[in-house]
Amino acid sequence: MSDVTGGGSGADDAADSDDAAGADFDGAQRTGDVPTLSATDVEAGYDQHQVLHGITFESRDGVTCIFGPNGSGKSTFLKTMNGIVPVWDGTITYGDVDLTDEKPEDIVTHGIATLPQGGGIFASLSVEENLNVGAFTVDDADAIAERKAEVLEVFPALEDKLDQKARELSGGQQMMVSLGRAMMTGADTFLLDEPSAGLAPRLVDDAFGLIERLVDRGAQVILIEQNVRAALRLADYVYILAEGEVQFHGPPEDLSEEDELMELYLGL
Amino acid sequence: MVDIGLFTQIVINGLLLGGIYVTIGVGFSLAFGVLEVVDFAVGEYVMVGAFMGAVLAPLFGAEGVFVIPIVLVVFFAVGALIQPLIHHVTTGDRPHPLLMGLVFTFGLATFLRGSVLTIFGPNSQDVPSSLLTGGIEVPGLGTFPVVRTVTAVFGVTGLAVFMYYLYRTRGGMAIRAIAEDRTNARLMGININRYQSIAYGAYAALTGSAGVFIGMTFNASPGMGLQYTAFAFFMVVLAGMGYLPGVIVAGIVLGLTQSFTAVYISGNAVLLVLFAIIYVVLLVSPAGILGKGEWAT
Repeated sequence: MSDVTGGGSGADDAADSDDAAGADFDGAQRTGDVPTLSATDVEAGYDQHQVLHGITFESRDGVTCIFGPNGSGKSTFLKTMNGIVPVWDGTITYGDVDLTDEKPEDIVTHGIATLPQGGGIFASLSVEENLNVGAFTVDDADAIAERKAEVLEVFPALEDKLDQKARELSGGQQMMVSLGRAMMTGADTFLLDEPSAGLAPRLVDDAFGLIERLVDRGAQVILIEQNVRAALRLADYVYILAEGEVQFHGPPEDLSEEDELMELYLGL
Repeated sequence: MVDIGLFTQIVINGLLLGGIYVTIGVGFSLAFGVLEVVDFAVGEYVMVGAFMGAVLAPLFGAEGVFVIPIVLVVFFAVGALIQPLIHHVTTGDRPHPLLMGLVFTFGLATFLRGSVLTIFGPNSQDVPSSLLTGGIEVPGLGTFPVVRTVTAVFGVTGLAVFMYYLYRTRGGMAIRAIAEDRTNARLMGININRYQSIAYGAYAALTGSAGVFIGMTFNASPGMGLQYTAFAFFMVVLAGMGYLPGVIVAGIVLGLTQSFTAVYISGNAVLLVLFAIIYVVLLVSPAGILGKGEWAT
């Protein structure tokens, strides 16, 4: 259970009642309260092959985008933050919690949820089971029921599909299951690994619309995306990675002045 | 001229036998799904279970069925301890994880067979079942041999409990999520080591206790394991890899095939007939008889 998510444990409910107004999702009205996810001089790789050569990074309110060409290490970097790829050197912290050596199954309990590439839904499980898996680390049945109601309010299309196997849903609905499942964790920070990849072009806008909704609810989103133009419209802060190093970071306005960078790394 | 009485009796025997095979097949299929290991040791668990019945029951002066709780506990514990080793050899930087798993469990199977052979010698032993002799006459149908009936009841009960856990509980949901994608399961906060251990332990416990019943129905011999490993392969391939409901059908087909082959052809021809069926199924429908396996296209 996330210690930054108020409505979780029963004892806090009374204290939170004035600020958990209405049916709003847990993270709502909390912009600015989300702990900063930061990496300092992170080195990592696979086998003997080093991919990341000292990445320093900080999540910002809203959407923090990470761009870079194929093989730049952006996906590997995301996986060091969710614990899938072990950190060789450097540190990763979330607020004042040290995540450097934590396992993925523990990191999610601090309030960081991942949407894997392709959505990562469990196709053979029902839609409701997918949502329940999202709440696997949550013990409070009331909190689970509340969040499920919230997810269905955001994605009413899922209401009639709860008993269906996730594989029977359309691509757009599967995207909703994936996002809904991540919301069920009660996370405040969402790591998104190329949400638009593999989606039909007409669904890409929908996907970005859904990301905006997460942000509106007070969440921080860290977004890896190949579709740079679409993602720039959402971005509040931008990192550009190449060859395992940060080549640029700053607000998107600064990026447009760096024509060379745009062309060199992003092909724009 | 087919003797109808004999025919129905063979069907009864085959169905009763199928009930216990299903429990072995479902566990084997789950181990494949959750641990991504083709477990060559499955038949040796049956053999060791049968030997525990043959050795422990006389020690307590008891019937084979009464050692079932011991077998369940011991096998669950051993299975839960073996699982991390299997996980270790099938993950990480190793090339050909499926092959590594095969080699590991093949070694385990050889070790178990060798140990039992060394300790108890090559002779087959009886599992005490004097309470379960005779049969129940059902007019118009035939005789239900008590041993086989109790065995089938155990098989169906074990299967029901197993399926209930898998499809109706939080832990079962976690196991199914792991079977589908380990990494994504971890990202949702599922401790995969714990649930993989539970899954493998439950599979080992069911398989070992099925061994006690098989020992009561036939007997316990150090060389019996390979046959049940072949049976497990037969069921899973016939069912379609990773498709649990298909295993139930496949287990019953297996029981009936064994029963019919033994009577109308020869007991020695059972494996030959089974593999003839497998070859035909693989040629005609690689995703299993119901066409719903993992390899379904």
